[in-house]
Amino acid sequence: MTSSLLASSVDAASAAPTGGVAPRKPGGIRRRDRLIGLLAVLPALLIVVGFMAFPVAFALFISFTKTNGLKFEWRWFDNYIALLTDPIVHQVFLTNLKFLISVPLVIFAALIVSVLLFERVRGWKYFRVIFFLPNVLSVAVIGIMFRNAFGYYGGVNQALGLFGIEPVQFFTNGSTAIAIIIVALVWAGFGYQALLLLAGLTSINPAVFEAAAIDGAGWWQRLWYITLPNIRRVLGFVFIINVLYTFSSLFGFVFVMTAGGPGFDTTTIDYLVYLTAFSSTNLGSGAALAVILFLFIGILTVIQNRVFKLGKED
Amino acid sequence: MADEDDVVISKRISSGRAHWPIFAALVFVAATIIYPLYFVILTSLRPNADYLQSPFGLPGEWTFDNYLRLIEDYGIGQAFLNSLIVSTASVAIILVLASVAGYALAKLPVPGTKLITATFVSVMLIPGPVLIIPIYVMLARLDLVSTYAGVVLVYVATGLPFATFFLTLSFRGIPDEVIEAARIDGAGFIRIMWSIVRPMGSSGLATLAVLQFLGAWNELIFAYILIPKESMRLLTPQLATIGERFLTDQPLVSAGLFITASVPLILLAFASKYIMQGLQVGVSR
Repeated sequence: MTSSLLASSVDAASAAPTGGVAPRKPGGIRRRDRLIGLLAVLPALLIVVGFMAFPVAFALFISFTKTNGLKFEWRWFDNYIALLTDPIVHQVFLTNLKFLISVPLVIFAALIVSVLLFERVRGWKYFRVIFFLPNVLSVAVIGIMFRNAFGYYGGVNQALGLFGIEPVQFFTNGSTAIAIIIVALVWAGFGYQALLLLAGLTSINPAVFEAAAIDGAGWWQRLWYITLPNIRRVLGFVFIINVLYTFSSLFGFVFVMTAGGPGFDTTTIDYLVYLTAFSSTNLGSGAALAVILFLFIGILTVIQNRVFKLGKED
Repeated sequence: MADEDDVVISKRISSGRAHWPIFAALVFVAATIIYPLYFVILTSLRPNADYLQSPFGLPGEWTFDNYLRLIEDYGIGQAFLNSLIVSTASVAIILVLASVAGYALAKLPVPGTKLITATFVSVMLIPGPVLIIPIYVMLARLDLVSTYAGVVLVYVATGLPFATFFLTLSFRGIPDEVIEAARIDGAGFIRIMWSIVRPMGSSGLATLAVLQFLGAWNELIFAYILIPKESMRLLTPQLATIGERFLTDQPLVSAGLFITASVPLILLAFASKYIMQGLQVGVSR
């Protein structure tokens, strides 16, 4: 989730440790330290390599085979060719693009909230905790809560009933179903992202605001000419995590809210990976789709990093 | 963190305007978060007929029936316990492995530190859906499907990269002199971990424990795929099943929602300090 910035701090994390302490010690102790250090890192490293890194390679292998998980028949690119020519895959990709509408919505909401929080009115710290609340809840909880609220007997239809409007079947229509999943996404995400943006706002030098205020800049002018340009970097970061999230982490929402339906109208790529893997007899096809998704996300990350120049300080 | 913020406030220009419009706007936004939860809790405490009659008022009849039905007929109590055990076990294992590895990476001359750190960071970039199929096949081969050990293993593996990275950064703050002094007094690796790193890194450890517990408790996909047997289900898949089966019984589903959300909400109420600290790691470097 916080990957892009984490990546840029690899150097920071690995550069410092060894230098300072080591040279003062005699060779024997230093050699022992290296051994103990290695033994200490090994269990964690083995588990991570065995059950995170190896599975990626294994997925690549599975994607070239026809398999039920027990017997593997090597099929070269058959799975990929079948996927790339499958109209359902095309439709699902387009559906996934529709979910991108959530990105500007959630960033806009987060931006407003962060600017409000930045004013530090009384009790802003309690508001901060409240805005963070959806983030500690399971996707299952948020998804089912929204599906219930917009269900036939749900709160929204009950409220419409008060105005004499007939209950609406939100989930039998692809577009409204997508709209409701997007509402759930915005609800779930804006608070956390507002806090990320707030951290960006806090790091702006207050003297800049003072200077602007002395020059007679109003609240809106300060927002537009000082605040926003100064948090470009954080905005870029938030934009990237949202786009990646849209392509890789909607599974939970789709699973509990619509199960991909009606038809394939709300099926996202990550949900289709699950569907093809566990509802057909060929795991290879699901694995191939996962590999395609992985490559797509990788390319997207590189492009976005270039566009926003996250590597450099500005 | 809290004190720094206060300094910032006093330094910032205050325009002298009334703050009430901003306060009102914040209250409105907070209400959009609080109200749905309030609605869920209230709905869970009334019979279905009462809900359908007037969903928005206070319940005409208060009842715990929905909770009792979920526990007695739909095994949600058992699922709650299963989730508690699996999450606690995962967090305990992650804390031990990650603090040992984090300490070594932060303070010992581990050969290949750069490569190891790069491994931990780069596996964090792997999107979840990519892992589903290979991990399922691997665990099936190891006879770990339908066992809690399998789920715990997956949670440990997916939690460790961030945990190790986080603790490496946080243990870096422990002064070398303290560790050096302990060594001169003859303390070995385990002694140093227990008597120095554990107490001095307690804040980071607490933050990590809370974050990882939330992650394991809330996880849905692997919990659903790896434990197909209904009697062994974890809480989130059980909730998903109940939500699917009882579309017409909002109060019953609401009770399930609140049971699942209760533990994270309690953690947020009592450990918000640690959760907020963990949040900062993502942005400030």
